[in-house]
Amino acid sequence: MAAVVLSKVGKKYPNGFHAIPAVDLDIKDGEFIVLVGPSGCGKSTLLRMVAGLETITNGELSINGTRMNDREPADRDIAMVFQSYALYPHMTVAGNMGYGLKNRGVDKESIEKKVNEVAKMLDLTHLLERKPKQLSGGQRQRVAMGRAMVRDPQVFLFDEPLSNLDAKLRVQMRVEIRQLQRKLGTTTLYVTHDQVEAMTLADRLVVLNQGHAEQIGSPLELYERPATPFVAAFIGSPAMNLFSATLDSNNLILGENESVLLKTQHEFNGPVTWGIRPEHLVVCEQDADFKMRVKAVESLGAETLIYGAIDGVNQDLVLRLSGPHQPEINSEIGLKAPQDKWHLFDANTQQRLP
Amino acid sequence: MIENRPWLTFISHSVLILGIIAVALPIWVAIVASTHPAEAFGQGSVPLWFGNYATETWQTVLFSAAGNGVDVPVWKMMFNSLVMAIAIAFGKIAISLISAYAIVFFRFPFRSLCFWLIFMTLMLPVEVRILPTYEVVAKLNLLNSYTGLALPLIASATATFLFRQAFMAMPGELVEAARMDGAGPVRFFFDILLPLTRTNIAALFVILFIYGWNQYLWPLLITTDDAYYTLVMSIKRMVSVADGAIEWNSIMATTILAMLPPVAVVIGMQKMFVKGLVDSEK
Repeated sequence: MAAVVLSKVGKKYPNGFHAIPAVDLDIKDGEFIVLVGPSGCGKSTLLRMVAGLETITNGELSINGTRMNDREPADRDIAMVFQSYALYPHMTVAGNMGYGLKNRGVDKESIEKKVNEVAKMLDLTHLLERKPKQLSGGQRQRVAMGRAMVRDPQVFLFDEPLSNLDAKLRVQMRVEIRQLQRKLGTTTLYVTHDQVEAMTLADRLVVLNQGHAEQIGSPLELYERPATPFVAAFIGSPAMNLFSATLDSNNLILGENESVLLKTQHEFNGPVTWGIRPEHLVVCEQDADFKMRVKAVESLGAETLIYGAIDGVNQDLVLRLSGPHQPEINSEIGLKAPQDKWHLFDANTQQRLP
Repeated sequence: MIENRPWLTFISHSVLILGIIAVALPIWVAIVASTHPAEAFGQGSVPLWFGNYATETWQTVLFSAAGNGVDVPVWKMMFNSLVMAIAIAFGKIAISLISAYAIVFFRFPFRSLCFWLIFMTLMLPVEVRILPTYEVVAKLNLLNSYTGLALPLIASATATFLFRQAFMAMPGELVEAARMDGAGPVRFFFDILLPLTRTNIAALFVILFIYGWNQYLWPLLITTDDAYYTLVMSIKRMVSVADGAIEWNSIMATTILAMLPPVAVVIGMQKMFVKGLVDSEK
């Protein structure tokens, strides 16, 4: 088991494109870290740099205190699960799982013992003699994980491993991966673009945006105190309501003609981004902060999502209520935004205001 | 045909049968002719049924001497042809695999230049470069040898190109997975690449074996010793006798024997051949 330290790790392509400027990340032994971000944010590149499949052009990567920048992937004592699983199609499941050990000169009996042990853990024992072609998607996924596990690596790397599975299997495998990682206690780096996957798996999340680590923290930290509007919008589903607003002498002004004025206590004056999560808005008949005109309703049974807009503010708003509700389209709902649930960001620096 | 019309079935069958007759008749005639004495064919008639000379002809052809002008038995020439065809097929496959491997998976200076140079040799088949190649082979003392027969024909741009395409279709993550599993270049080649291109290799083997077997000009040029004559060129030798009657019976027997190995290879490897050209398990 190992600690992984990335200090100012960056990637610059020969054509001058700076895919990742500099990422600092201190992964503790046994931690489950999820790299999350929209496509093209550099999360896969970062993972592949840790794996050694992409060169690190600046900064330093160390695993267990040893500098790894120039080591071959096979010499870094890591194992990777690929998005397409990348199983060797001509080898049996047992062959696939044992191949890495075979290349390391481990003797046959030890390989067999280890493969059987891991196969038992992953419930693959009855499939050991099959070829990958004869397996279902979920089984292939398990074999790919088994191939990573037999080697007892210091670090697991996962590159969007669940994106090829159907929704039901994905949830099942997600739980399974989490349990396995807890049981083995192996340091893990996991890449995904799915924020639900990220929230449920991670000990700590790294939200990446255009190669920058926007925020690093536990899922709840990121949910409760997002550092930037980007993180605020990315974490949570449905996404946080974000409005351009102005703070002026203890008033939060929304929209044109000062259509909404909210009283607050804040030293800051100037343009801000104001955010409130759909689940934190409170419906009230009297003393409403503002009124929302209903545009669409999505009833999911356990909860209801109501889409609408505030008159005079040309940005849409989502409200999330538990249980079934049937508001009329075009009717008005009075809403209160409790101050302790506000998120305020400086519109210029994009940083959270205290 | 989806419709079930009797006359349509009749016509399509007759066309097929006619086609089969057109293809099979010469072979039939060849078989029949090999069972008649040499004069039977020379008199202008084409016998369509077996004669009673079969054992004599086939015995001479196979074991003593093929016919006038050629004093070696057919089995010896067959062996020569086989050695040449197999050496060419395996040589071409081995060299093309290695060069395609280098071109696709390694980054070295002038990589694409190398590829285009190989590709350009497509424009230089043996027939074009036959004199300089002959000179080189002669200077290397390779006239009248199996090496001389096979070596100059081994370099192959077509096969290199085919393997290059097959390698480039290999999923990148598979290559990376092998790298993570600690497979070095040699291991990767033998453990992953070779098994995955198995069907391509088989398909190519069929084509190249026939190519090697049917070589005519090159063996004609560099062999002057009976011991290295190949079957295909000997048939021509047997036909062009200056004086005396042409021994059609021996020629026909030899021709049929010359047809057998390519046919056997095609039939035997048909399944893999089609698979190699059509699908891949990647």
